[in-house]
Amino acid sequence: MSDEIKVSKTMDLKGLPCPQPVIKVNKGIKEIEVGQILEAITTDPGALSDFPAWARTSGNEILKTDQESGLIRFLIKRMK
Amino acid sequence: MEKEKKEKLLDLFRSKLDRPMRYYLDVCTRCGICKDACFAYASVPKAEYTPVWRAEVVRKIYKRYFKWTGKLFPFLGESKEIDDETMKQLYDAAYTCTGCRRCMMYCPFGIDTQAIQSIAKLLLIGNESAPEELSMLADASIEKGKQLELYKASFVQAIKNLEKEVISKWKGESDQVIPLDVEGANILYVALAGAHSIIPTASILNAARENWTLSFFEAVNFGAFVGDPIKTQMIAKRIINEAIRLKVKEVTICECGTAFRVMKHLVGEQPFKVSHVAEVMARYLKEDRIKVERDRIKGLITYHDPCQSTRNSGVIEEPRYVLQQLTSNFAEMTPNREYNLCCGGGGGLVALENEPFREETGKAKVNQIRETGATIVATGCENCHTQLKFLGERYKTGVKVEFLTNLVANSLVLE
Repeated sequence: MSDEIKVSKTMDLKGLPCPQPVIKVNKGIKEIEVGQILEAITTDPGALSDFPAWARTSGNEILKTDQESGLIRFLIKRMK
Repeated sequence: MEKEKKEKLLDLFRSKLDRPMRYYLDVCTRCGICKDACFAYASVPKAEYTPVWRAEVVRKIYKRYFKWTGKLFPFLGESKEIDDETMKQLYDAAYTCTGCRRCMMYCPFGIDTQAIQSIAKLLLIGNESAPEELSMLADASIEKGKQLELYKASFVQAIKNLEKEVISKWKGESDQVIPLDVEGANILYVALAGAHSIIPTASILNAARENWTLSFFEAVNFGAFVGDPIKTQMIAKRIINEAIRLKVKEVTICECGTAFRVMKHLVGEQPFKVSHVAEVMARYLKEDRIKVERDRIKGLITYHDPCQSTRNSGVIEEPRYVLQQLTSNFAEMTPNREYNLCCGGGGGLVALENEPFREETGKAKVNQIRETGATIVATGCENCHTQLKFLGERYKTGVKVEFLTNLVANSLVLE
């Protein structure tokens, strides 16, 4: 977890095939308040382009993307 | 329901009424032969799981608004008003049908239930009650097509991360691992977003010394699942434009039945050949461009024919040819090929999750697999793979589900 950013909810999406990670994040973001942060961890490489495209169409904001030893971590802020 | 909305929905209905559709809506005699063809009814014999029941929901609206009897005497016969209750029934009809079209094989009049359900799906879009997940996924796909430059760098990085695994599967000489943006390539391979859809095929294409390039776009077409003809075209167009830009000779679609059917049959003729990856693997094996070790994979293997690539697109013998090279221990399901039972995961149902429905209506498929005695069920479709794996877990079959590409990649040998 980031030191500067307070995460309200974490979703472990490791091993889930496409398109489950985006579907679950789309549901998960509705379970936090506007302005709060969702942390999503996935192993799906397609998420690196899928998540930003989803964020643009759904009006949410990806604050940070990290990659380390096959794991991809997104911090997503619910905007509306 | 407001008058304006009702008129909008009727306009959408009217837009689908070409001659074939009027025929499908007019000729049903309700003989009921279709009921036994449906995987859902074969598993759970409920009236609402029959193709004719699903079609009747749409047909009754047609009778009410587009036939003179319904217009003049709406209180007589079997016509139905468009209202909120009808919209709920349309949802149930459309999203308990996978669009597998097995019923069409048995219908004496060749009625295409999937085509009829495309009206239901279009009305649901117009009513803003189509599944939000499918619309969201379709919109995200279109967004990627519009703003590729924004996502290109992260995609390239993700692909770079997969290269080690490709090399570990194919240890032969190759000056490429996962090529991107190669102008003049023979093949544009269109994968799904997951590594499992890229790594095995990349290994096979490299083993065949193919001049290929990986698409920036995922193959899956959520516009088709949600039944939106405009979004279906837009999503496919991203790949078509990329293929034309790169001047490739062939577009090879990964193991995704709907993606293949859309590109092969539903978006018109293209200036390139369209192939399913099973067809490409069969070709390489026939031409000795790749070699595999027979029986490296242990256990009895059966094959699940994906409805969209087999029954609805004709990729029937190629997967079997590939499996014959991989194993001497193969057993067909009964029935098979174009008469195979749907697994119950198509039409966007896997993406919608809806696990209770998928579990109960998958029973016939589970029995079909069990009867073969197989320990591995191979398939060539992502939706089918996800659904078969889900059914295996729920029914504790102990049968492993494998993609054809993975079986081939794991059997590759150096010349």
